[in-house]
Amino acid sequence: MPDFQAYCGRGVPRFANDVELECAKLLDYYRVPWDYEPTTFVLERAADGSVLEAFKPDFYLPEQDLYLELTVMKQSLVTRKNRKLRKLRQLYPDIRIKLFYKRDIQRLAERFRLDLAS
Amino acid sequence: MAELGAEIARDYAGREPVLVASLKTSVFFLADLSRAIPIPHAIDFIALAGYAGRTPRSGVRLIKDLDVSIEGRDVLLVEDVVDTGLTLNYVCRTFALRNPTSLEAVAFLDRPYRRLVDDLPVRYVGFTVPDEFFVGYGFDLDERYRYLPDLHLAQGAS
Repeated sequence: MPDFQAYCGRGVPRFANDVELECAKLLDYYRVPWDYEPTTFVLERAADGSVLEAFKPDFYLPEQDLYLELTVMKQSLVTRKNRKLRKLRQLYPDIRIKLFYKRDIQRLAERFRLDLAS
Repeated sequence: MAELGAEIARDYAGREPVLVASLKTSVFFLADLSRAIPIPHAIDFIALAGYAGRTPRSGVRLIKDLDVSIEGRDVLLVEDVVDTGLTLNYVCRTFALRNPTSLEAVAFLDRPYRRLVDDLPVRYVGFTVPDEFFVGYGFDLDERYRYLPDLHLAQGAS
């Protein structure tokens, strides 16, 4: 695990995939303070109060007050994620979040020569 | 270019701004823009260590700093292209510590849909462009094609 300089969360971030790791390294290189999955937004609760659906964006940039969600799924398979994002925006209209699709990430990888496995 | 220059001249009238470009791509744009701004202004250059050539534990840094002080000056950053905003964000945070009177940016090309960071002081934009790769007019592909006088779409390069 790289020795991150701009990470402002607690504990060691455990990334789900190489894309998240490379994004963290990119933010860190440019000294953009970042946190990894610090917030879980509840989207739906059962009558007893238990959580039925939630959304945890990958990154939070405190200086920007901005959440980033990366998806490596093919464009045709992101319908469920898009639906959750719409729901998040409806329930938490003040939250600023950006969704980066696989194509966006590929562009980033080309631009910055990221070490992505795929 | 004439429109951008006239707009900048109008906004900065009586203030003698410093135009700051990052080497190397922006040089072509700065040269044309400077000659299109009919008010007194200074120019200067910076160079940043790129992410592609990073080493472990390295972070972005200026490998060529400004030659002039910007304290109390109006600074206009001249960018070839703004996409993720990471570079511009770093430069703005670095320069803000030097107490300029104002700090704004002009981008020759803009890809706002590729922003990773927001809140950038991009006040002037030449062209908002699609998600394509360009060469010429300072833009290179592995240091080639910068010299071309016009922008060209590099098909199959991205």
